[in-house]
Amino acid sequence: MIFNGSTIAAPSRRNSAVRRLGRARDTLCQALDEKLTLDQVAREAALAPSQFIRAFKAVFGQTPHQVRIDARLELAKRLLITDSIPVTDVCVAVGFASLGTFSHVFRRRIGSSPSTFRREARTLVQVPGMLPLKLYPGCFTLMAYWPESAIFEKRAAAGSVKLHLPVQQVTPASEHQSWASRSS
Amino acid sequence: MGLKIKLNSVMVDDQDKALKFYTEVLGFAKGHDIDVGHGFRWITVFSQDGHPDVELALEPNANPAGKTFQAALFQQNIPATAFEVDDIDTEYRRLKALGVVFTTPPTQAGPVSIAVFADTCGNLLQIYQPPK
Repeated sequence: MIFNGSTIAAPSRRNSAVRRLGRARDTLCQALDEKLTLDQVAREAALAPSQFIRAFKAVFGQTPHQVRIDARLELAKRLLITDSIPVTDVCVAVGFASLGTFSHVFRRRIGSSPSTFRREARTLVQVPGMLPLKLYPGCFTLMAYWPESAIFEKRAAAGSVKLHLPVQQVTPASEHQSWASRSS
Repeated sequence: MGLKIKLNSVMVDDQDKALKFYTEVLGFAKGHDIDVGHGFRWITVFSQDGHPDVELALEPNANPAGKTFQAALFQQNIPATAFEVDDIDTEYRRLKALGVVFTTPPTQAGPVSIAVFADTCGNLLQIYQPPK
């Protein structure tokens, strides 16, 4: 990260507008079971609703609605894996009005139904301290040094992904694991 | 020389969206793009004008700790990383024409010129032009 705050004399107007959009985004990702209108969030960013949607999409690459739906699905995934409440209760907890809509949106975005996702993600044996991989990936930076054979296996599983690994030293998997567990 | 800097990373809220922005808008080339399971990919890009062996990984910020860190940097107007450019005014105009939102236009900051913009993936990025 680049700490450059001290080199800029004062925050520009554009700067504070983007920060307000950032706060609006935080609001969209909170209290997901509550009703939140576009007017409310737009007011937080001090913009008219239509201006707010345009500005929000330009900064975050998604509409406010898409961000809220994504946040709801992320919470749903977490609840499905880490909690035992029925799918219907998960649906309500993350703010979907109907189970049908929840299942439809979940399947379209995640690729499986909520119950299938739960079944596949949960394992019979829980290792203390381990986070579910479906929710929390490991440290990606260290993956550059996975053994090439492992990458090829992933590649084969993925299908037609073009691969051009730089020629580099390959560290034994056991050594990677020890570093990964300490650093990630 | 023992230690080499070959890999940097930024956390992104959506890897598909990030790959599109970092290649189509910023102009980097795709390096690796490998499915590593569970909906995550190992994606890197590299600068076509820089050293091809130095890569930038687009890491998913799925971990809540990553999300919190990313949101805090954004709110404080702190760029997640910085890229060097030869001519900051030209690059500023090019990116603006592509719809990129700047929080700081080209500004002299000591011996370098800097500008800061949103990467549409939850980060602010800085470009800087070193003294000639």
